[in-house]
Amino acid sequence: MLVAMLLKDTLEDAGCRAVMAARLAKGLEIATFQTIDAAILDINLAGQPSFPLADVLQERGVPFVFASGYGESGVPDAYRHVPVLQKPYDMAEIQAFITTLLKEN
Amino acid sequence: MTTPPSPPLNSPQQGSPDGMEELRSEMNGQEVNAHSPLIVGIGASAGGLEAFRTFFSHMPASDDFAFVLIQHLAPEHVSALADIVSRSTSMEVVEAVDGQRVLARHVYVIPPDATLTIAEGELQVSTPAPPRPQRWPINTFFTSLAEDQGDSAVCIVLSGAGTDGARGLRAVKEHGGLTLAQAGFDHAAMSGMPANAASTGLVDVVLSVEDMPARLLAYRKQLDVTRKQQDGVGLGQDMGDQLQAVLRLLHAEVGHDFGQYKRSTLMRRIQRRMLVCQTETVVDYLARLRQDRQEHQHLFREMLIGVTEFFRNPSTFDVLTEKAIAAMLAGKGANDTIRVWVPGCATGEEAYSIAMLLREAIGPHGGPKVQIFATDIDDRSIEAARSGRYRAPLQGVSPERQQRWFTRDGADFCVIRPVREMCIFSVHSIIKDPPFSRLDLVSCRNLLIYLNADLQSRLFHTFHYALRPGAFLLLGPSESLARSSGLFTVVDKKHRLYARRQTNLADRGISFPIPGPATAHAAPLSMAHRGGADERIDRGARRLMEKYSPAYLVINANGDIERFSGDTGRYLSPNPGSASLNVFNLLNQRLREPARVLIRQAFDAAKAVVQEGLSVDIHGRPQMLRLIAEPLMNSDGKAQWCVLAFDEAWGSHSTVHAQSALESARSDGESPSRLEQEVDLLRSELRTTVELHQSVVEELQSTNEEYQSVNEELQSTNEELETSKEEMQSINEELHIVNAEAQSKNEALTRLNSDLRNLMESTQIATLFLDREMRIGSYTPAMTELFHLRESDVGRPITEISARVNYPELRKDVAQVIRHLGVVERMLYGQDDERTYLLRVRPYRTLDDVIDGTVLTFVDVTESLRHELERGQLAAIIDSSRDAVIGYTLEDIISSWNKSAERTFGYSAQQAIGQPLSMLLPADATNEAKAIFESRDPGARPDKFEATWRTQGGQTIPVSVANSPVRNSVGSVIAGSLIARDISERRDAERHARMMLGELNHRVKNTLASVQAIALQTLTSSPSLEEFKANFLARLKALSQTHNLLAKEAWDGVRLATLVRGELAPYQDEQRTSRVRLHGEDLKLSPRIALALSMALHELTTNAMKYGALSDTQGTVDISWEVHLVDQRSWLHFSWLESGGPEVVTPTTHGFGTRLITGGLAYELDGEATLEFLPTGVRCTITIPLSELDPDT
Repeated sequence: MLVAMLLKDTLEDAGCRAVMAARLAKGLEIATFQTIDAAILDINLAGQPSFPLADVLQERGVPFVFASGYGESGVPDAYRHVPVLQKPYDMAEIQAFITTLLKEN
Repeated sequence: MTTPPSPPLNSPQQGSPDGMEELRSEMNGQEVNAHSPLIVGIGASAGGLEAFRTFFSHMPASDDFAFVLIQHLAPEHVSALADIVSRSTSMEVVEAVDGQRVLARHVYVIPPDATLTIAEGELQVSTPAPPRPQRWPINTFFTSLAEDQGDSAVCIVLSGAGTDGARGLRAVKEHGGLTLAQAGFDHAAMSGMPANAASTGLVDVVLSVEDMPARLLAYRKQLDVTRKQQDGVGLGQDMGDQLQAVLRLLHAEVGHDFGQYKRSTLMRRIQRRMLVCQTETVVDYLARLRQDRQEHQHLFREMLIGVTEFFRNPSTFDVLTEKAIAAMLAGKGANDTIRVWVPGCATGEEAYSIAMLLREAIGPHGGPKVQIFATDIDDRSIEAARSGRYRAPLQGVSPERQQRWFTRDGADFCVIRPVREMCIFSVHSIIKDPPFSRLDLVSCRNLLIYLNADLQSRLFHTFHYALRPGAFLLLGPSESLARSSGLFTVVDKKHRLYARRQTNLADRGISFPIPGPATAHAAPLSMAHRGGADERIDRGARRLMEKYSPAYLVINANGDIERFSGDTGRYLSPNPGSASLNVFNLLNQRLREPARVLIRQAFDAAKAVVQEGLSVDIHGRPQMLRLIAEPLMNSDGKAQWCVLAFDEAWGSHSTVHAQSALESARSDGESPSRLEQEVDLLRSELRTTVELHQSVVEELQSTNEEYQSVNEELQSTNEELETSKEEMQSINEELHIVNAEAQSKNEALTRLNSDLRNLMESTQIATLFLDREMRIGSYTPAMTELFHLRESDVGRPITEISARVNYPELRKDVAQVIRHLGVVERMLYGQDDERTYLLRVRPYRTLDDVIDGTVLTFVDVTESLRHELERGQLAAIIDSSRDAVIGYTLEDIISSWNKSAERTFGYSAQQAIGQPLSMLLPADATNEAKAIFESRDPGARPDKFEATWRTQGGQTIPVSVANSPVRNSVGSVIAGSLIARDISERRDAERHARMMLGELNHRVKNTLASVQAIALQTLTSSPSLEEFKANFLARLKALSQTHNLLAKEAWDGVRLATLVRGELAPYQDEQRTSRVRLHGEDLKLSPRIALALSMALHELTTNAMKYGALSDTQGTVDISWEVHLVDQRSWLHFSWLESGGPEVVTPTTHGFGTRLITGGLAYELDGEATLEFLPTGVRCTITIPLSELDPDT
C-alpha cells in the first residue's frame, strides 16, 4: 500500500500519470482497456501471481518490468528476459528505467 | 596202496603195454650216458636274476652239463638275462632258438613272449606265449624236459612268487629226474615258488643256490658210476642180492611189503634214492637205510610217488558213464546204495572224478545213496584227499565242471561238500587188509602194473569177491586180466572195463590175510617164498617120477590139488555143481574113499602108503589099479604136500614097495563079508562125518563173511571217526575264531562302556534310569541337583528320595509312560523358582525292544528361557520399530522382515522372506544404487546410505538405510541386517523449510520496502527533522507492534479489538484510553488486512491524540464495526467517530494520514474509506471485503 503510493508519487514526480491496481482483475481491466505506455508489475497481487497480466501486456506490446521481493528466482522462464526491480526500490533506478522505457517507445 | 606213477596223460607211451616204460627210460639212460650233457632246467621269476648270477658264479663250465633258464618275463620286456648271466660264467650264454640242439657248456635263455619246450634234445620255441592265466613257462619246460630226458632230467626252482614250477617238478620226479629247490636263510624252502614246489613233497633236496652246483657235479658223478654198474655186471646183480634185504627192512619199519612189486620198478626207485643220497652201492645204501630212520620214509614215499589227475583218460570216463554207470543206476531207488571202491586213490582225484560222474548221472533230484571207498596206504595222500583242496590250474576238468563241482578259495579249488561227502577216505592196504564187499564198481587203475603176476592174480580174486554179481571193474590202460580172465567178462576191451562173471570158482581161492601184527608180516613173507617152493615141488615130483611113471596129483593138506601130471583124467569124475579143485570132489567115486584113507595115512605117518587091487571102470572097462600116496616134505621135514599116483601097471610088478593096512587086515584071516559090512558101516559114518564137516565149513565161511562185513563197518566207522575228528578240529578252530571275536567284542564293549561312563559323567543333562518298579538304575551327576541322591541309593525306589524340585506328579507320569509308551514332558521349577527344568519321561527300551522302565531327563532351561524372553523383547522392539528392519543372508536373501517393513514396502513377511534383496530396487535404479546390492559382502556395504526403493505397489519411496553386518563370536560376518527409514516426510519438511525461507526473504524485503515508503512519505510531510523523527519512529513502532501481534498468533491473524487496543497502548494514560469505546463482534483479521488497518488506526489515533478528541479531557472516540454479507462476500464496516473534543478544523493539505487512509488503504484492501473532518470530531468509515474475490467468478 505504502509502496504503491510511493511508486505512484515517484512516477508522477517524473511526469507520468500512474494508474494502480492491487488486484489481478483490476489490473487485467486496466491492461486490456486503458492506453498505457509502460507497466511495473508486482509479481504477487494480493496473493495471486501477475503473469496473466504480463501475457496481456506482452500481447499488446506494452513494455513492463517486474517488481518483486523474491528477486529473479520468482520469474517463469517465458519472462526471463524481463527486468526485475528488487524491493526495496532504488528510486533513481526506477526513474531511469521509466525514462528508458518511454524513450524506446 | 598208492597209485604209483604212470605215464602222464600226454606222454607218447600212453597206453603202451606194460614194460615199455622201463625199456624206454633205460634207453634214455644209455643215450644220455657217457658224453651227453645233463640238461638242467632252472626256473625263476623276474626277480630271480640275483639267484641266477649266484648259481653261475659257483658253477664251473663242464662237458657234463647244459642249462636252460626259464624266467617269468613280461611279453614286451627285452631281457638282459643273457647278458647278465654271461658275466658270471665262462659258458656260452645264448637266447634259445627254435630247433637248436642243446650242447654242453652252453646256457640257453628263454626268449621273451615265448613258450620253450624240448624234444629229442632240441629246443622248441613257439611264440607268442599263451595269455597270462594259462602261462606256466616253467611247468611247460620242466614237463617237456622230463618227457624228453627221463631220469636224466634235472630241474631247479629258484626264487619267485607263485606256484609255477611245482607241476613240472612233479613230472621230472615221476620220470626219475633230480629236483632241487632254493632254500632261504633258514634252510627251509624259500617262500613263493620254492616253497610251493617243496609242498608237493617231491623235491629231492632243498639247499641254497651256492651249494647247488656242487650238488649237481656230485650227482653227475654218481649217475655215471651207477650207469657203469648197470652196463656191466651192473647194479642188477648187486641189487638182486640186496633187494630182498632192503624190502625186508622197509617191511619191518614201515609195515608195507613191496615184495610183490615188479623188480624193475623197485630197482629204479631204490636207485633214485641212492643217487639222491649219494651212495654208490646198494650195500652202502642198505647201511644208510639201517642208520637213518628218515630214509625209510623217503624210500617209502619214493615207492609211492603217485601221479593222478581228474578225469585221467577222458574217453575212459565217457565209456564208464555210458556202459557201467547207467547199468549201476538202473533199478536203484533212494533207499539203495551204490558202493564204489577206488583202491590206490592217492590224492583222491580219481575218486572225486567218479563221484562227479555219479552225481551228474543221478541228477539233482535224489536217487540212490553213493559211497565211494577211496583207499591208499599213503597216509599223507589220504590226508590231502580228505581236504579236497586242489591247486589251480585243475588239469582235465572242464570249465563247466569247475563251476559246478568246485568252489574257488584263493589259488585253490575246493571240492564242493555234496561231492566230498560221497567219498570215504581211509588208509588201507589192498594187499594186507580185507577188501570191501558188495561193491558196484572197483576202479583200480595203474596200480597193478607195478605188481607181479601172482599178486595181480590174487587181487583179481579179491575184486571178484568184493564185487556184486554183474558189477564192474575198471583197470588202467596198460593192465589186463591175463590169467584171471575167467572171473570177469569184457565190457569194453579198449578201455579195460570188465563185469564180474557169475561164478563160484574164485570162492575157493580167496584166502584173506588176517590183520594183526604177527601175521601181517608173516603172510606176505610166505608169499614171497612161494616162488622157491614151487620149484621144490616140481623138482621133488620129477625125482619121484623117475621111480613111478604113472599119472599123479600133488595135493596139499586140505586136499586141494596143486599139480596134475600125466593122464589123470582117466581117474577123475567131478561132482556136478560148483567147480572145485578138492581131490575128493574130483576123483572117481570108487577111488574117493581109498584115496582119503591113503592120503591121511601118508600125512600122518609121513611115509609112502600103497593101496593095491582097486578096480575102477575106465571108459567102461574095469581096470585094476594101485594107488600110491607119498608125502612131500618141506625144508622143516614136515609133510606139506602129498603125491597121489595111479599105477595101472601094478599087476605086472612083482616087487611090493609097501603094504597097505587093508592088505594086512585081509591077511589076518577075517572073513570078507564081515569086513565088507564093517567097511559099509564105516563108510556111512564117514559120509555123515564128511557132511557134518562140510556144514561146519559152510558155517565158518558165513561167519567169516560176517566178520568181513563187521570189519568193513568198522572201517567205515573209523573213517567216520576220522571225519568227525576233522570236523571237531574245524569246530575247534571256529571256536577259536569265535573266541577271538568275542574277545574283540568284549574289548569294544569295554571301550563303549567307558565311553558311556564318561558321557554320563560329563553330560550336563540330568538323566535318571528307573526300572519298572521305579527303582533307581543309574543317573548322571547332575541329578544330585534335583534329588538328594547318593551312590547307595541305586536300587531304591525314587519315591523314597526327597526331591529338590517340586514334582508331585512323578509317580503318575512314570506310570503313564509305561502304560502308553508315549513321552511325557513337563516344566519343573526348582526351589525358590531360581532354576527351570524341562523334564522328559520316555520309556526305556532294551535292544530287544522290550520296555524295561523309564528314562527321565531334566534339561536346565533357565538360561534358555531367559534368552527366549530377551529374544521376545528384542523381537517386539523390532516389530514395533517405525523403521523397516530387514535381515539377510550372505547370499543377499531376505531372512527376516518386521512389521514396519511390511508397512513401508507393502510385502508381507511371508512374501518377502526368501526373496533377494534386489527386489527392493526400482526398475530405473541408478548404477550406484545397484552397486550397493551387488556387493555380496555385508561388511563391505556402506554403514549408512540413502536410496530410493520400490514398494509392492510399484511406488518408489526415499529411504535412509543403516547396514550392520552380523558377526559370530570370532568376528566373521555371517549375515547382515538393514534398517530402512522412510524419509519422505523429512523430504517434504525440507522443501517446506526452503519455501518458508524464500517467503521470509520476500516478506522482509516487502517490509523493508514499506519502511522505505514510510520513511520517504514521512519525510515529505514533516516540516522539520525533529518532527520527522518522532513521526517516523511512531509509525515504525506501530508497524512493529502489529508484527508483534501477528507473530504472537503465528501470523494466523489478529483480533480487531486487540489491534485497536494495541494502537492505544503506547499512550499509558488510563484517563484517556478509557474514553475510547469499542463496539463490535469478535472478529479475527487476516495479516494483510491487519497490517493495512493498523497503519490507518495508527494515523487516526495519533491525530486524535494530537488534535482530536483525545487531545483534551472530555472528548471520546467510538470505534464500532460490524460484518455484512453482500454478494456472498463478507464485508467489514468499520467506523471511527470522535466527539466532545476541541473543534475540528479541516486541514488545508492532505497529510500523510489522509492519503494513507483514503488512497492507500482502499487500494490495498480493495475497499473504500472516507475521512471527514466534522466540527464535532473526525469521522472515518472504512468498508473492506474480509475475503478475496475468487478471480474465476
